[in-house]
Amino acid sequence: MAKLAVTEPVNGKPNEKTTMGQKIKEFAVDFWRQRELQSMIIPGIIFMIIFCYIPIYGLTIAFKSYTVIDTLDSAPWVGLENFKIIMSDQYFWDAVVNTLAISFLKLGIGFIIPIILAIMIYELSFTRMKKFVQTVSYLPHFLSWIVLGGMMINWFSTTGLFNQILLDLGIISKGQNILLDPGKYWWIATLSDIWKEAGWGTILYLAIMAKIDPTYYEAAKIDGASRIRQIWNITLPNMRSIISLNLILTVSGLLGSNLDQTLVLMNSQNRETAEVINSYVYRMGLTQGDFSYATAVGLGVSIVSVILLVTANKVTSKLNDNQSVL
Amino acid sequence: MSKVLRKKGVSLGAVLLAIMLTITACGSGGGGGSKSAALPDLDGRYTPDPSTPAWKLDTKKETTDLTWYVNADWWNTDFGKDTVTKKIKEDLNINIKFITGDDTKLNTFFAGGDMPDIITVFDSNSAVAQKASTWALPLNDLAEKYDPYFNQVAAKDTMNWFQQKDGKTYGYPDYSNTQADYDSGTIPAKTAFIIRQDVYEAIGKPSMKTPEEFESAMEKIKSQFPQLIPFGFNSIGTGTGSLGDVLQDYLGVPLEDKDGKFYNRNLDEDYLTWLKTLNTVYRNGDISDDSFADDGTAFEEKVKSGKYATIMLDGVPQQGGNLQTFMTNNPEDKYIAVDGPQSTVGNQPTLNQSGITGWMINYITKKAKDPAKAIQVFTYLLSDEGQALVNFGIEGETYKKNSDGTVEFLPAVKELQLTNSDKFKKDYRMGEFIFFGHDRYKALNKDSSPEAIKQMQEWGNGKLKPHFILENINPDQGTAEARSLSAIDTTWNTTLVSLIRSKTDDDFNKTLDAYKKFLDDNNWSKIVDIRSEKMQANREKLGIK
Repeated sequence: MAKLAVTEPVNGKPNEKTTMGQKIKEFAVDFWRQRELQSMIIPGIIFMIIFCYIPIYGLTIAFKSYTVIDTLDSAPWVGLENFKIIMSDQYFWDAVVNTLAISFLKLGIGFIIPIILAIMIYELSFTRMKKFVQTVSYLPHFLSWIVLGGMMINWFSTTGLFNQILLDLGIISKGQNILLDPGKYWWIATLSDIWKEAGWGTILYLAIMAKIDPTYYEAAKIDGASRIRQIWNITLPNMRSIISLNLILTVSGLLGSNLDQTLVLMNSQNRETAEVINSYVYRMGLTQGDFSYATAVGLGVSIVSVILLVTANKVTSKLNDNQSVL
Repeated sequence: MSKVLRKKGVSLGAVLLAIMLTITACGSGGGGGSKSAALPDLDGRYTPDPSTPAWKLDTKKETTDLTWYVNADWWNTDFGKDTVTKKIKEDLNINIKFITGDDTKLNTFFAGGDMPDIITVFDSNSAVAQKASTWALPLNDLAEKYDPYFNQVAAKDTMNWFQQKDGKTYGYPDYSNTQADYDSGTIPAKTAFIIRQDVYEAIGKPSMKTPEEFESAMEKIKSQFPQLIPFGFNSIGTGTGSLGDVLQDYLGVPLEDKDGKFYNRNLDEDYLTWLKTLNTVYRNGDISDDSFADDGTAFEEKVKSGKYATIMLDGVPQQGGNLQTFMTNNPEDKYIAVDGPQSTVGNQPTLNQSGITGWMINYITKKAKDPAKAIQVFTYLLSDEGQALVNFGIEGETYKKNSDGTVEFLPAVKELQLTNSDKFKKDYRMGEFIFFGHDRYKALNKDSSPEAIKQMQEWGNGKLKPHFILENINPDQGTAEARSLSAIDTTWNTTLVSLIRSKTDDDFNKTLDAYKKFLDDNNWSKIVDIRSEKMQANREKLGIK
C-alpha cells in the first residue's frame, strides 16, 4: 500500500497518476453521482454472482465420487476417472451421434424455413391474411412438448389420425406406429420441432424487415426490379446481421438438443436413435443418482458448446465484412 | 425450454446440477459426518416399560411438534382434521407438520443441515438409505432407551433385513412381508392373467396354458372381437412392463441356479419359448404396436374402457379403480383371472409381492428434537391398535368387529365409501395413512379392496413365493458394475420389445445373440459375482440355508 502510494510525478504533472486512496475516493464519488443507475445494475450483478458464478464451484463434483449424503468437500477426489468412463461409454457416444444428427437436421432445415416463412408473410399484402398466418404459425410454440408429444403419440398410434389418413388413402394396408421405428426418429424430431418453432422464429425477422426503409423498395420498383429481385437485393441484405446472430446462437446450442421433446417421444424401441446428450445426463444424474458422472458429461458438453460459439462467431464475422455480432 | 437450451448453448444437466449442488453445499454440511451423539435423557418424563407402549406412559404436558418429510409430492399433508389423524394427534399429544417433495428437496435437506424429525423415502437401495447411519438414529438404541415396547411390534425379520454393518437398524418400512406373512396366506397376489368374461365365454372358455392353445385363443378373439386388442400388458416405459420378471414369476422361472448362485432368468429356455410365442402372436397381429409405446395413463385408459381382451396384469390392486369402473359400466363383461400361460417344463407359478424390503422406509433423524416422541409414533403406528385405527378407524364409530375376527365398516361409512369416495377420504382417511401399513391388516376388512379384483386376488391364493434372496442385490450405486448393469437393463428393455416384434425367427435369434454379446462385453460376470455374494448375505440375514 505504502509503496503504491508513493508515485512519481510524470512529466511534472502530479495529477496524471493518482494514489490508491484517491482512486477509491474518485470511484466512490462517481458511484454516488450515478447512484440511481448503479442501483439498477447491482441486483443483476448480485443475482449473477449467486446463481451463475458461485454454482460453478459445484462442477468440482465432476472430478469426485459424489453421492447425496456427501458434501462437496467430503466427497473423495477421483481425478479424471469420470471422464475416462465417458470415453468408453457406448450409450454416451450414441447420444452424441443422435444429438449432432438431429441438431444438424434442425439447423439445415429449421434455420432456413423461418426466413422463408418470414419473407412470405412480409410479402403478403392482404393484412388480415397476414395476421391469420402469423397467429396460426406461432400457436404451436405456446404448447409445451408434454402436450404436443402427447398429441403426436396419439396421432401416430396404429389407430390414430396419421395412420387413419394413410389407410383411407389406400397408401398402407395396416396401421404402423412410426414412433417405434428407430430409422424414422431423427426426421420425426426435426419436423415436429420445425412445426412447433418455425412460426415463432419469424418474429425477429419480421421485426427487422419492418424497419427496412420503404424508399429502397420504391427506388427498386422504379428501376424495374421484380419481387424476387427486391427480396434478394434489399430484404435479405438488410436481414444479414440478425441472420448471423441467430446462426451463432443456434450453432452454439448444437449439443443442447431438445430435452423435453426427447423425454416425451423416446420409447424403448427408438431409444438408440432418440437419446440425446441432455436426456442422457438427465437419466444418469437425476434418475440414477450418478451425479458425478452426469456433471462430467455436462461439463464436457459446455466446453464444446463454448468452442462452437466462438467458432461460429468467427465464421459469421468473416461473412459480415469482419463485423462481429457478439 | 427448448429455445432457451438451444440458444444459450449450455448444458441443462451441468448447470442444474451445479446450481443445486452448490447451493446445497453452502449449508453446514448436513447429516454427513456428525458423530452419533448420545441420546438426550428423558428427565423423569416416564420410566420405560417393556410391556407398555411408551406413549401411554409419557407425562409430557405440552404438545410435541414433529416435522415429517415425505419424499412424494402426492402425499396428503393434512393432519388432525380427519378421523384417523385426529385420533393419532389426541393419543400421542403431537402435532405433525408434513412436508412433501422430490429427490431435489430431499438432497437440499441433507446438505442444508436443517433436517426434519422424521424422513420417509422410497428407495432402500439409494445412497440416502444406504448411508442412513450418518444421518438417522438407530431404532435399536431408541427402543432401548425410550420405548422397549417397539421391539414387540416391529417384525424381527424386517429389523434384521435392514440391519447395517454396525449391527443397527435405522429405517422401518411399510408393506414389508416376512416369511410368516407369506405362510399365513393373508397377503393377496398382485399378478394375474385376466380376460373379459364375455370374450372368454364367446370363444368357448378355451385352455390357454400351452403356447399353441394361447396362440389359437388369440386368433379366435381377433376374429370374433375385431375391435378389441387380443393381448395387452402393463406399460413398458423404461422397464419391462409385465413381460419381464412378472411373466417369469408367472411361469415359475427359477430364482437361482442349482448352486444357489444368481440365475439370469431373462435367458431361461422356458421363458424364451413363451417370448417366441408372443412373437408369433404379434406377427399374427394380435398384439398392438401401441402397447409398446403407451405410457401408464394410456394403458389405464384402455383397462378402464375394456379395450384389451386379455391382459397380463401386474399391480392388480393399483388397477382396482379402473377395473371397478369397467365392471360398474359393464356388469356382464367384467375381467376375470384365469389360468393363462404356464410353464412348458412343468414349473409352478412363483408370484412375487412387495418383499421384505417393503415400499416406503421411515427414519428418525439425528436432528429430531424429541426422539422419544418420534419412536413412540413408530411404536404406535406399528401396534395392532395403530393399525386398526389407520385401516378401519375407530371401533363403534366407523367399524364393528365380527365374531370371526374380521371387521366391517358401519353402514353409513360403507355407503359413503361407495357413493362419495372423495368425502370418504377427506372425512375418515382410512387405509391412507400408510407409513407402517401392512396387507395383513387390510385383509381383515372385506371392504378394503374393490369388488372387481376380489376374484383375481383369490385366484392367486397359494401361488405366492417370497423372492427375498433377490432383493437389493444390485451392485452399489456409483460403482463401475452399477453403471454396466444400468446399461444392461436398458439393453434388455429394448431387446425384450425387439424380440416380441421380430419379423422373422432369424431376427429373433439375432436380437437374442446381440443381447448375449452385450452381456459379455459389459462386465456381466462381475455383476453375477456381486449378485451371488449379496444373495448369500441375504440368506444369512434371513437364516435360509
